[in-house]
Amino acid sequence: MNLLVWTLVVPLISAAAGGLGGPRPFKEATLVGGLLLTFGLCLATANQFLGGIVPAAFGDALRVDGLSALVLVLCGFVGLLSAVYGVGYLRRNEARRLVTPRMRRKFYALIPAYVFAMLLVSVSNNLGILWIAVELTTLASVFLVTFHDRDTSLEAAWKFLMLGSLGLAFALLGTVLLFASGQGHLGEGMASLNWTRFMQVAPELHPFTLRLGVVFALVGYGTKAGLAPMHTWKPDAYREAPSPAGVLMAVGMLNGALYCILRVHLISKASLGPEFSGGLLLMLGLLSVLIATPFILIQWNLKRLLAYSSIEHVGIMALGVGLGAEAGVFGALLHMTYHSLVKPVAFFSAGTLAQLHSSSDFDRIGNGTFSRAPIASAMLVLAAVIMTGSPPFGLFFSEMTILRAGFLGPHVTATAVFLAALILLFCGFAYQVGRIVLGPPRDPAERRIPQPERFDLGMGTMIAAAVIAVVSAFYLPGPLMALIRAATQVVWGGA
Amino acid sequence: MTGNVLILCAAGMLVSAYLMVAQKALFTAIRLYSAQSLLLGIVAATIAFSEARHDLFVTAALTVALKGILIPWFLMRVIDRIGIHREIEPFLNVPASLMVCVGLTVVGYRVSTGFPEGARGVSHHLIGIALSMLLIGLFLMVTRKKAITQILALLTVENAVFLVAVGVTSGMPFVVELGISFDVILAVLILGVLVGRIVDRFESMDVSRLSKLKG
Repeated sequence: MNLLVWTLVVPLISAAAGGLGGPRPFKEATLVGGLLLTFGLCLATANQFLGGIVPAAFGDALRVDGLSALVLVLCGFVGLLSAVYGVGYLRRNEARRLVTPRMRRKFYALIPAYVFAMLLVSVSNNLGILWIAVELTTLASVFLVTFHDRDTSLEAAWKFLMLGSLGLAFALLGTVLLFASGQGHLGEGMASLNWTRFMQVAPELHPFTLRLGVVFALVGYGTKAGLAPMHTWKPDAYREAPSPAGVLMAVGMLNGALYCILRVHLISKASLGPEFSGGLLLMLGLLSVLIATPFILIQWNLKRLLAYSSIEHVGIMALGVGLGAEAGVFGALLHMTYHSLVKPVAFFSAGTLAQLHSSSDFDRIGNGTFSRAPIASAMLVLAAVIMTGSPPFGLFFSEMTILRAGFLGPHVTATAVFLAALILLFCGFAYQVGRIVLGPPRDPAERRIPQPERFDLGMGTMIAAAVIAVVSAFYLPGPLMALIRAATQVVWGGA
Repeated sequence: MTGNVLILCAAGMLVSAYLMVAQKALFTAIRLYSAQSLLLGIVAATIAFSEARHDLFVTAALTVALKGILIPWFLMRVIDRIGIHREIEPFLNVPASLMVCVGLTVVGYRVSTGFPEGARGVSHHLIGIALSMLLIGLFLMVTRKKAITQILALLTVENAVFLVAVGVTSGMPFVVELGISFDVILAVLILGVLVGRIVDRFESMDVSRLSKLKG
């Protein structure tokens, strides 16, 4: 079997092994080992791509180009982090006797299954397989949302699944209409749904059907990406999911859904010109940034805060692509990369604080966490500083690139609104994080927390992720930069 | 002849969607969905027969087996277990809902006129009906409160998408079709499990009570 297939099979085996019984060390080893191997295979696949070979399988149904390779590597990376942190997370809960054997099985099976589905999304060249893979990510994550089995987790899971399924029904209709628009040109059999085939016959596609299909597909996959106004499931799901799963949603799923959006955008661009889907993306992206702003200011829960931050960031990426300039596309993909590197730090620190206080609600956490959990608090501040796009960190550069592309292009007003929203978002985030971390606890009882912060696997992972996030601001490895450039070439040049 | 069968079946699907809107007994609503899926199966089989596309027969068989029989059976079991049989008063009463649905059908047909020349005649009706059903499904989803009705609304949307697929493209590639069916089944199973848990926890299937998470 070739490398690409192994990249997908390994997490699947890991999921199967995790779902079976077995002693705890064995399960921890299969989870971490499996996803470590997966990440290695992702790197090897990307390396093969950089070496000039296009990894493909099943008659080009799976095919790795620049965009796929970038998303693949980022998903593999965050999958590994989530696995290591997840083992630490479960150990912490285990020490407090909160974990049943059933929960353990669920966790060790679903995390790698979720990673598998995300990797499948990122290498799909066939629009049908792409849809199936996105649906699989939804199904794999529902029971991660209900992991803690609270009343609110059922509510979150219900909304997540209903909205997600509706979005996917739209995406399916979009796929069908795209397929319909190319009747007579796409040929027969499985390969007729291949993205590469669509790109070849792009000028022949029927415009009306294509337009309708693009709208449905963008709205459908936009729901999965959490673009406003289809974002409402996100805060609920993020709050309820355990943080190792949350980070997979916030990075892996987001990148994967954006990948789908970009594929559809590229077909539309090749056939109808850049304005149609680009304009839609610009609008949805700007709306996401604008909607996230007030909700960050009035937020009452730490993980929901992160959800709105991720709505903002996916909005920025969509906006960067929608601007219709090469620099904007490059900025968006750079943003995706840096966002994937910093989001884990935010989730791990927020998750640690939530675990220490047995809740992620602000009124349960209270003020002045810095005196109770200095390391997690410091990491949260660091993540907030990076995520709000402060210099000298990476997101500052990507946002500047997008802003520059915007002001040089035709969409100056939209860019100015975007800039204003970014400034407000910065203030909102600083206010919220400052409020939790600093300030004296309101009464002495708040000084005590059920579990003191101590150095364990979870904290080690958090610190490692933070080091990577900081170092990446000053040094991006050459091959990663090459991948970003290759992805830009795909999204800009359509090749 | 073929054209008449196709239009008749598609019209039957639209009627079943209307009846679902007017219906409060959950068992009947599920049976309506089952009938709708059977009609979809007949549409697929007819196209397979007239255009000699044999892979569409498999699609038709899958539709009948999974959506016509398996899913309705599963949903009925869920209802039996939790013992709730009637929809409560929807957000909008039945006559008003039906009026809205007529409007949605007009919209659906209007949009369907934009499809290419080849889509005139029979396909024109299939697309018009499919888009109307899609809109009616969405409408059902936002106006109903019971979890089961929402699932049925989602499945109606799904059927509408399949009707477009067989009507306009004469079927997606077989492997894709298989994967999609598998995913839909899995989604319904998971939704059923969630409904069970919601009822256990809240002693009600009224999803409008799921409103703790805001902001």
